[in-house]
Amino acid sequence: MDMKRIFATFGFLAFILLAANTASAQCGASDLADNCITQMSDGFNFVKSFPIDGEKGAKNKIEYSYVFAKGTEYAINICTGGEAPDGIIVSLYDSNRRQVTTNQANGKLFKGVVYNCNSTGIYYITFTFKDSNAHCGGSVLGFRR
Amino acid sequence: MKKLSLFSLMLLALWSCDSNKPSADIYQAALDSTRLAQPQISNEVVHDILQQIPSPLEISVLLKETGTRYNQSMLNNPKGVSKYNTSYQKAINLGIYGTDLGYTNIYEQNQDAIFYLNSIKQLADELSIGQFFDFGTIKRLATNSSNLDSLLYLTTKNFNNINGYLQEQNRSNLSILILTGGWLEALHITAQVAQTNPDNQILIERIGEQKMILDNIMLLLSFYSESNANMAQYMQMFQPLAEAYEKVQIINTYAEPTFEEVNGMLVVKDNSTSEVKITAENLKEISATTQAIRNKIIN
Repeated sequence: MDMKRIFATFGFLAFILLAANTASAQCGASDLADNCITQMSDGFNFVKSFPIDGEKGAKNKIEYSYVFAKGTEYAINICTGGEAPDGIIVSLYDSNRRQVTTNQANGKLFKGVVYNCNSTGIYYITFTFKDSNAHCGGSVLGFRR
Repeated sequence: MKKLSLFSLMLLALWSCDSNKPSADIYQAALDSTRLAQPQISNEVVHDILQQIPSPLEISVLLKETGTRYNQSMLNNPKGVSKYNTSYQKAINLGIYGTDLGYTNIYEQNQDAIFYLNSIKQLADELSIGQFFDFGTIKRLATNSSNLDSLLYLTTKNFNNINGYLQEQNRSNLSILILTGGWLEALHITAQVAQTNPDNQILIERIGEQKMILDNIMLLLSFYSESNANMAQYMQMFQPLAEAYEKVQIINTYAEPTFEEVNGMLVVKDNSTSEVKITAENLKEISATTQAIRNKIIN
């Protein structure tokens, strides 16, 4: 392979890597997750923040997990670029994958849920999208006794 | 063509630079003693298990809210930081000091918190992850108890960022040790308090519940123990605790949850229950084994 080809290949790879790096930063889900901490319900201690990047609709499910403890209340808040949850549905599943709650109830989409845990175990926090515009948001998990 | 190639090289160089990350030389030095053959398991699986490990802060909050008094003598001595020489010792003790810092923060013991912050800074710098701590801001927050929420947020976020970064950099083994150290210290503190409060069923149950966390920790250590002698050594160290926990039973009973709307949030009541079966003898064994493991790690 001559030098021109090597440089051309190298240049092409550099562009691809740069493009991939830029693309992954486009949604701003990490910033939304960090900023969501200020939206945490009163009296809750911060545990984790979760970026929700639906990659403009290419990805329909984002899942995290955490061990919830009996006798503890957990709050999961959703933040987007606006006031509404923008079609982001959070669902909580227990270790047997039974859905224990979701922010979609009474014909409404709530900006968060508070779960009063009475059974210690691994819980799965799943984010999906329904009629979402941006497919992008952040979430924060907090706890209180 | 030459211009395009030069431009591409510059782009690649710019892409490689990130001011939030340590320089290549420092980073390489820190990697030397910890880089290892990657486990036969995907990073995603390791990440998924790691993220489940609960925050040690939950234990500190529980202790404070059940009326337990602050007891600095239970914690690891912050002045002992210079004893930890290898990256593995530094990582696991960073986790231990992290839990101690959270405990001092929850109890608003600002002076002690500063001592732990200094030890954490030293270990984090030596592991080339000190850039994730804004020590100036943390110290400022720590001197005023009205800043407790901000302080807890910042320290929790810093530890989360460190773990995320280590996993991205294929140094998940250190991330596992940081979380293991943090968990062990929380278990140690709970066990110590439970010994002096033998009627506190909440604490005893919480100790028993740690069986499921330990299962995860053993699983994580097992991923690395074949390719790394140090990780294998930690797994061996925790084995007696896993054996003690085998006698603990956790029984879950499912019932449909109920919900109501409060201030724009959906509040859900879990009607399921979990029951921990743990005998006094078993509790004693777990406490003693935890103590023995911790002594090996901190001394």
